[in-house]
Amino acid sequence: MDELLLSKIRLGIIAELLASDWVAFSALQHSLQTTNGNLGAHLGKLIESGYVDEEKAFVDRRPLSRYRLTQRGREAFVSHVREMQAMLQGAESS
Amino acid sequence: MDVKDTREQLEIVEKILAASSRTLCAGGEFFLVWGIVSASIDFLNQLVANNTLPATALWAMPVLILIGVVFSTWRSIQMRAHSGRMSMLQREYLNMMYMTLGVTFVAQFAGSNFFAGWAEGAIWNVAGTMVLLFIGMHGNRRAVLAGVVLIVTLAIANYTPAIAGYVLGAGMLVGYTGFGATELLARE
Repeated sequence: MDELLLSKIRLGIIAELLASDWVAFSALQHSLQTTNGNLGAHLGKLIESGYVDEEKAFVDRRPLSRYRLTQRGREAFVSHVREMQAMLQGAESS
Repeated sequence: MDVKDTREQLEIVEKILAASSRTLCAGGEFFLVWGIVSASIDFLNQLVANNTLPATALWAMPVLILIGVVFSTWRSIQMRAHSGRMSMLQREYLNMMYMTLGVTFVAQFAGSNFFAGWAEGAIWNVAGTMVLLFIGMHGNRRAVLAGVVLIVTLAIANYTPAIAGYVLGAGMLVGYTGFGATELLARE
């Protein structure tokens, strides 16, 4: 399993980005109900690993950050979920 | 990671994916403005063809198109800046719309010998119908109705050559602008 995705917040971020072209920081925070600092730290790890891309812009003189899932992040998420499903099936059948 | 944690994580993923938006924001204001621009161009052509207006009145066409382009650019920038997210479906819709309208624009100018006369206006009714039916495919019944109106006016215009410009323009006003207006009203 992908250790980076064992965190619920990071897994949540990836799931949020999966069906979107991009999501703003504020929208992620609203969906995941977490603090600025916590979300920022988890996003930092995902960006560092190449799972998420960050785009910074200024809107009405205020900074705005948007995030999108990279191909690497998408593949990691899919294989992580598959492994979790397999693990669950294995546990249920035994 | 134990079974309980795994189940919990999969539940989180399912919950988020189920909540992810599959709705399409068509952007009513764009249909409203471009419907008026297109209808005005059709009406203008018809008035010139009837000798009600002099041929120099056709110079209003690039001005009308410019107004549409400036408005669309300004509104797109504004919407992107103030939106929290863009779904994959929304991105797919925008790509399809730009592709359809872009190809129609190129076809109209590059194939000016084929798309001469009223065909020049009719090709935009076809493009508009395709955009509306795509929106309709994703559950918007108003868009289906508007698309049908637009394509029906094309058939009517074909058999009423003396007033073809008025019919095509009316199709744009009712189908395109009408759809835009209902979208804006539904948004409120």
